[in-house]
Amino acid sequence: MDAVNKASAATGEVKGSYLNVTAGTVEDMYERAEFAKELGSVVIMVDLVVGWSTIQSISNWSRKNDMILHMHRAGHGTYTRQKNHGISFRVIAKWLRLAGVDHLHTGTAVGKLEGDPMTVQGYYNVCRDSYTKQDLPRGLFFDQDWADLRKVMPVASGGIHAGQMHQLLDLFGDDVILQFGGGTIGHPGGIQAGAVANRVALEVMVKARNEGRDIKNEGTDILRQAAKGCSPLQQALDTWGEISFNYTPTDTSDYSVTATAAV
Amino acid sequence: MMTNPVRRITQGQFSYLPDLTDTEISMQIQYGLDKGYAWSVEYTDDPHPRNTYWEMFGIPMFDLRDAAGVLLELNNCRKTFPQYYIRLMAFDSTRGVETIVMSFIVNRPENEPGFSLVRQEAPGRTIRYTVHSYATDRPETERGSL
Repeated sequence: MDAVNKASAATGEVKGSYLNVTAGTVEDMYERAEFAKELGSVVIMVDLVVGWSTIQSISNWSRKNDMILHMHRAGHGTYTRQKNHGISFRVIAKWLRLAGVDHLHTGTAVGKLEGDPMTVQGYYNVCRDSYTKQDLPRGLFFDQDWADLRKVMPVASGGIHAGQMHQLLDLFGDDVILQFGGGTIGHPGGIQAGAVANRVALEVMVKARNEGRDIKNEGTDILRQAAKGCSPLQQALDTWGEISFNYTPTDTSDYSVTATAAV
Repeated sequence: MMTNPVRRITQGQFSYLPDLTDTEISMQIQYGLDKGYAWSVEYTDDPHPRNTYWEMFGIPMFDLRDAAGVLLELNNCRKTFPQYYIRLMAFDSTRGVETIVMSFIVNRPENEPGFSLVRQEAPGRTIRYTVHSYATDRPETERGSL
């Protein structure tokens, strides 16, 4: 927490670090959550593997204790990827919104973990919409009025880097948490240089989009241009700029029959 | 500020970029107006991370749909408070959003005093933290000038 507070003082921004309270019993989780609160943390984290009643309990605890609840979907792949058995992640996302979590890992479409861009956008809509319209290519089968149910901030995490900023912004818009783990820590100039590179890339891309630029097609040029005045961004692009993950997702929407490896 | 690589507070959008020109600011204002947002101008000399509500420079411009008008208000604020932090904020009144959706700093004091981290030693090895604004060390009447 010393580092979190130092970062706050150095930037003037409220900072946080996800303290994972996942444990074997819900009682142990309460204990860890209380400890996180005592340390002054603004946010705790929980893994999906703990199960539904525990998620609901820790969500209720978080509301009572002014704590942000970060939901990691660790374990979901064991039952969301097959077409012939399991539960779609879209349904998991709905349940978690109903449970009242604040953040939810919902995929990246361009990172190291598999995901069909349209289907992933469907998960994002389930988290953020006030009213979801039927959208078959995104796996949304019927209209749904969310009334005033609190929204969830979706999280893109896993193998993403500054060189993909235009794609991330184009796919997911503004209301998203972009988590660059390896894309920060792995920077050749160190973690701080990695953080600067990511923040500059994000700000320059938002600015360009708002100015009317076509970021989807001009994104790489926009980043290259910005890197001329920011050596950490240049280093980041030199390191990761060419890296993309090319795969055919198995987890596609199935409103029409699609060939998959899992059938 | 010495430990911050960009040597200034980095709240809001565009803090890691070179200061926006008035033309660039106008483009952001226009983007917000096209989305139906209402702009407002706020200022402070104490940008503490938990100082959520800065002082309003006039009321939010709910009915103003002209970027030049918003920029005029901003420049009035700059003339009145040249050594303060000034930010532009856009409010989205859409049901279910009803919050600020854009915010960026458009004026800063020449020297940004920054913050200290105060550690209070509590029982055991507990440390309680407070972020302290150096700007507030002087009485309000003596601030906002060099």
